[in-house]
Amino acid sequence: MDGELLPLTALRPGRRGRIVTISVGRGKARRLMELGLLPGEIVQVTSNSAGPVVLRTKGMTLALGRNVASRIWVEVVQ
Amino acid sequence: MRDILVALSGSPNVGKSTLFNRITGGDVHVANWPGVTLQRAEGRVQHHGITLRIVDLPGTYSLSAQDVGERIAREFIVRERPDVLVIVLDATSLEKSLYFALMALELHHKAVIALNMMDAAEKRGIHVDVDGLASKLGVPVVPVSALKGVGVGALLDRILDVAQGKIRTSPLRVDYDGLEPFIHRIQRLIESKGALSRYPSRWAAIRLLEGDEPLMEELMHQDPDLAREVKALRERAGLELGEDPERIAISSRYSLIDDIVRSTVIQVRLAAPSLAERLDEVMLHPVMGPLVSVLLILLTFFLIFAVNTGFPLNLIFANLGYDELARMIEEFSISGILGSLFDWLSSLITKWLISAGYSGWPVGLISDGIIGSLGTLASFVFLLLIAYVFLGAMQDSGLFPRAAVSLDNLFRKFGLSGRAFFPAVLGMGCSVAAVVSTRAMDDDRERMVAAMASPLIPCQARLLVLLALASAAFADPLKQSALTVSIYLLSFALYLLISKLLNWLVFKVEYAPDLVMELPPYHRPSLRVVWWYARSNTEHFMRKAGMLIFVVGVATWFLLNFGPSGYLTGSKISESYAALLGSLLTPVTSLIGLPDWRYALAFEVGFFAKEGFLITFSSIAGVADPVQAIRIVGITPLKAVSMALAMNYYVPCLATVAALFSELRIGKYVLLTIALEIVLALMLAGAVYWTGVLLLGLS
Ligand SMILES: Nc1nc2c(ncn2[C@@H]2O[C@H](COP(=O)(O)OP(=O)(O)OP(=O)(O)O)[C@@H](O)[C@H]2O)c(=O)[nH]1
Repeated sequence: MDGELLPLTALRPGRRGRIVTISVGRGKARRLMELGLLPGEIVQVTSNSAGPVVLRTKGMTLALGRNVASRIWVEVVQ
Repeated sequence: MRDILVALSGSPNVGKSTLFNRITGGDVHVANWPGVTLQRAEGRVQHHGITLRIVDLPGTYSLSAQDVGERIAREFIVRERPDVLVIVLDATSLEKSLYFALMALELHHKAVIALNMMDAAEKRGIHVDVDGLASKLGVPVVPVSALKGVGVGALLDRILDVAQGKIRTSPLRVDYDGLEPFIHRIQRLIESKGALSRYPSRWAAIRLLEGDEPLMEELMHQDPDLAREVKALRERAGLELGEDPERIAISSRYSLIDDIVRSTVIQVRLAAPSLAERLDEVMLHPVMGPLVSVLLILLTFFLIFAVNTGFPLNLIFANLGYDELARMIEEFSISGILGSLFDWLSSLITKWLISAGYSGWPVGLISDGIIGSLGTLASFVFLLLIAYVFLGAMQDSGLFPRAAVSLDNLFRKFGLSGRAFFPAVLGMGCSVAAVVSTRAMDDDRERMVAAMASPLIPCQARLLVLLALASAAFADPLKQSALTVSIYLLSFALYLLISKLLNWLVFKVEYAPDLVMELPPYHRPSLRVVWWYARSNTEHFMRKAGMLIFVVGVATWFLLNFGPSGYLTGSKISESYAALLGSLLTPVTSLIGLPDWRYALAFEVGFFAKEGFLITFSSIAGVADPVQAIRIVGITPLKAVSMALAMNYYVPCLATVAALFSELRIGKYVLLTIALEIVLALMLAGAVYWTGVLLLGLS
């Protein structure tokens, strides 16, 4: 459903979301921002099963451990 | 210590301002350059307790003082003589930004290149041979992404190294072709008159030939006669060469740039998105992913080991009864070929020396000590080069990074992340590379744990010793394989278990760090990129260990061939210094069933380089073939197993210890690693040996 708020770990492969909040420690938040993960950014999940969540943003592919991924909340978009 | 002055320079739009802000972190003072309305930003940053004063020079395409920006940048470099000039290049269009770099390096060679926009380059499949670029330009090159803040720490490290003279840089020499004789003449003229002394004389000569107006004016002020003479020379150059000197100078620079770009940059075609998607479906699948990853590693090392040592093909064929074929595979493996090559060389030189009238220890020193050590070194180089060619291909294709992701779940159980995959895999090539590779991990604790545990993985030198021990002790190839494979399995288990132990006992944390990793695009591995990877890894190893292996090899020869009574002839090795040293350690090796100075000595020599085991046995037995040598020294199956275990774990080799020191920077942890390995080796080998003796009645 459009507009629904979910952690990245709940986004199924192929779906896209706009980042709303990132609630991790300061150091880690900076590292994520350096990789282009900022609130407002749209990401597409390409793989999400037992292991790290893999997503695409700005033409690059990132792998995020499930713990960090669960702290990134996105708003589902089409 | 006084502040270090760093000037940031480069063409417009290479990301200089972004890098400046990234380095200074906002502690910036902005004013105008004197007399003009161009902004001058200056900032400070502390690095390893030293203050760096950073000045952002105007972005310019050249340093010919044609416009305000160029004049300011050039004047600053010449007048202030910055301790380090940082030249920012754009990795996505090296041709464009290199022109400035050439101009700048001719003027001031205490410099570091910041190869910026590496993130964008990677996304587009552009690879740059960083080491190659550094050697062409004569200054360190650090890949960075100013936008993402990647590599900034390493850049600051290199800046300090250059400022403190730890890295020597050399002036860049462009070949100016027909202009060279004129350059020399002008250079001699201005040098003899002491004119334009604030510039490097070669640089000034070139610029004068090119018709640099401000420089000519400066010369006019200092020495009008000389200025006229130089002008005349410049005109003569134009007439004689039939071309404007400036044109020649510029095209000489561009032909060097062409040459540099051709040999250090490559753009590969990325895999089609549909193929990438299908690959990801397999590589990142929860069940298939780890399975395929493990298979890929097995396949990669199957190829590496088969080419390098013949293993496991030799044992497979021997198991099937094709002994002849198995032997051939071994003989024609890299270590087999190099082994016979150096044996042949050594006997050739012995004959030649004897026929030339030499005798006694000089013959032995040259033909055994020196040629033997060179042989060891050469075999290391080839084994590593080939290992890194295969590993580089897996890395470059984008497959290994996915393997790291899919194994993340397994590693997490031991307090590591998928990143711990890389040291484990590189460790099968060489432990030094494994330890150095931990540098890329961003979690400090994980980095230290992986560095400390990675020497447990058997490197190729240890594989050679292991294979020789297995073949010497067991006739049945099935048993030889069983021993070798179980040591590998045990080592991986230990890598994980010891990591868990270190996390728990030393760092007192249980949770695993989160994986945050960028996955490079899939593409067919490029031969040149793979070659760069292999060459640079091998070079790093050679720099750390090359001299060490050679010197220790020669020293071992002396210890084995000299004793308190002088040079030993015949087989009186038991009276050598080596025997004396070996007997010191015998009480310890007795604990694991090896109460013999010859084994003890092998352990001592093996600390310097693990292949030292084979060299020691060969020297003691007086035969080149290590398998035969071990049989002559005498070994039982039980002792072989005990020795294989102890040899693998008793201590990282000296080069690895050095790498651990430079990566961990905490002596306590290095000592802990060594102590842990000694205890582990004694426990494992002791347990196996005494179980065998007491429960199974073996010897
Ligand atoms: N992808 C990528 N873009 C970068 C990087 N560094 C800088 N940029 C971008 O490149 C553009 C130019 O960066 P600036 O820092 O303004 O370049 P500059 O060299 O200071 O340019 P001048 O101010 O004209 O001298 C900006 O859009 C930056 O965001 C990088 O490492 N990666």
